[in-house]
Amino acid sequence: MIEVSGLVKDFGAHRVLDGIDLSVQRGEVIAMIGPSGSGKSTCLRCLNLLEAPSAGLLRVGDVTIDASRPVTRRQRLGFRRPLGMVFQSFNLFPHMTVLRNVSLAQERVLKRSRREADEISRQLLDRVGLGAKADQHPSRCSGGQQQRIAIARALALDPEVMLFDEPTSALDPELGLEVLNVMQELAAGGMTMIVVTHEMHFAESVSDRVLIMADGRIIEQGPSAEVMRNPQTERAQRFLSAVMNR
Amino acid sequence: MTGLLDFWNQSLPQLLTGFTLSLQVTGLSLALGIPLGLVLALTLQSASRWLRWPSLVMVEIGRGASILVLLQFVYFGLPSAGLTLSSFASAVAAFCWCTAAYTSEIIRAGLQSVHHGQSEAGEVLGLDPAEILRFVILPQGLPVCVPTLLGFSILMLQASSLAFVVALPELMSKAQLIGSNTFRYMPLFALTAILYAAVCIPATIVVGRLERRLSRHI
Amino acid sequence: MTAGFLAPILGGVIWTLALSAAALAVGMVLGALLCAMRVSGGAVLAALAAMLILIFRAVPPIVWLFLIYFGLGAGWLQIGAFEAAALGLGLITAANLAEIFRGALKAIHVGQWEAAQTLGLPQVSRLCDVIVPQMLRITLPSIVSYAIGLIKDTAIASTIGVPEIAFQASNVSQATFRGLESFAFAGLLYIGLSIPIAMASRRIDLRLRSKVAR
Repeated sequence: MIEVSGLVKDFGAHRVLDGIDLSVQRGEVIAMIGPSGSGKSTCLRCLNLLEAPSAGLLRVGDVTIDASRPVTRRQRLGFRRPLGMVFQSFNLFPHMTVLRNVSLAQERVLKRSRREADEISRQLLDRVGLGAKADQHPSRCSGGQQQRIAIARALALDPEVMLFDEPTSALDPELGLEVLNVMQELAAGGMTMIVVTHEMHFAESVSDRVLIMADGRIIEQGPSAEVMRNPQTERAQRFLSAVMNR
Repeated sequence: MTGLLDFWNQSLPQLLTGFTLSLQVTGLSLALGIPLGLVLALTLQSASRWLRWPSLVMVEIGRGASILVLLQFVYFGLPSAGLTLSSFASAVAAFCWCTAAYTSEIIRAGLQSVHHGQSEAGEVLGLDPAEILRFVILPQGLPVCVPTLLGFSILMLQASSLAFVVALPELMSKAQLIGSNTFRYMPLFALTAILYAAVCIPATIVVGRLERRLSRHI
Repeated sequence: MTAGFLAPILGGVIWTLALSAAALAVGMVLGALLCAMRVSGGAVLAALAAMLILIFRAVPPIVWLFLIYFGLGAGWLQIGAFEAAALGLGLITAANLAEIFRGALKAIHVGQWEAAQTLGLPQVSRLCDVIVPQMLRITLPSIVSYAIGLIKDTAIASTIGVPEIAFQASNVSQATFRGLESFAFAGLLYIGLSIPIAMASRRIDLRLRSKVAR
């Protein structure tokens, strides 16, 4: 489904990503963990071209992007089409109702009619447990609710892969749980997911595969329980013992 | 005292005709200038230097050269380049230019106040740049500018008094005209000042309230 | 074609700068006074100051100039064009600076006043050693950008005959029938004058900042 090879990202003289290789199967749920500054968010943002990669090849479905060549707007749109994205800070549109937030892109991008889009939006909002909030503005919703709305908004475009950038980091633990539950259901439903997270429990029990990143590289990866319980490298052991023993 | 009131009473109708013209010139300049300011705000951020540089020159001249000089340039200068405008058209052209230049900065600041994550969210949803601007950035950025734009509008009404140097019969010209016939400058300019203040003071107070209310919400 | 006919316009620069400086000086003194009245003068003085600030700003500069030069000049007070312009523009400047000063006072943390008080500093020292230096740093960028605006506003003094840039441009234009070049040159002069001031202020601002930065 997704193929990444030799992904490099430089910010000026600073190399943030130093040769990432990754392949993701359809239906696979991947957790990316690692100390802050290890490049996991940047990696995710490169994956949907919010950051322009400095070098490497990216393939999603049958669209390939070569970072060494200029990317046209059409290529970028085609590449992003199957990708849904959820941000740490939700980024809902505060001036629109919850319903409009979910419907807007369906109308503009998928050319659905307003009626059709709204109907799908209401179904999705029901699915994340927020059907009653459809006609309110996001500012009237808690952080956990806003993040679930953001998930519904991304799902409305029928993505094949969902990317999550620390979806619970801005939330109280209790509110984070609502979001994790929705994500868990999504994973159980067969959605391909890449999740950058600090939630070790999610990484261990929900994801199929865990990637540990440090210093712009993937230092360890494998089946979740195995990697989490029995890391091979010294760096990964240090990181895991630091986060587990808190 | 009755002499003064009588004199004011006599001059008021003429001054009011002038003031109506002041308001019209200001209104027209703002109605044309603010949309132009929005366009400049966008072209200033454009990736193409063919849009960016001419916009920058327009803005820097509009803000940097004195508005009085702009006005005289249009009215007295352009005819020698083959473009002769009436005093009304000159005033509107110069004030519109000035309005566009200043409001482009106000609007740019307003649009930049919209959090970067908002346009990123639009981008990952597949909206194109024009759609992001129309549905995401403008609806959030423009309301932020409103108090500043209103404050600027008050200044433009005051600046319209400069049109007297191109003989536009607005409030200041009328006052000057009556003054040169009666030589009673003091009461005339005092009344002129009162007329401007009668509009500008309440407007300033309203804008101040609006600003405070808006800053509470942010 | 020679540009020599534009030379008299250059001669106006000195008057433009002198008038700007004079209006700024009037505005600083009156503005500080208005600000003091507003923040520590008791209810009556504070209301009076607020009203004056509102009135000074509500009347266009050209009306102030005419009111002072022709109005007061007609029997009340003989005053030169330069002085009238400095006073008229100074009033508006005072009102604007008073608000800038007041904003800066608000921005200085209450703790600074309290610290100065608990150190037992006398009133004058509290103000001059602790508060004013901080105010200067906070207000400098606003004062400079106001001063740049003021330079352009001095063009209005041409209407009462102060021989500054716009006045000279108008004269040259009438004498030579070359309005296009005259006013374009005048406009460029105003832009040219503001550039060194903006640059100097940035340098001073950086120096003041580097003193407090760590």
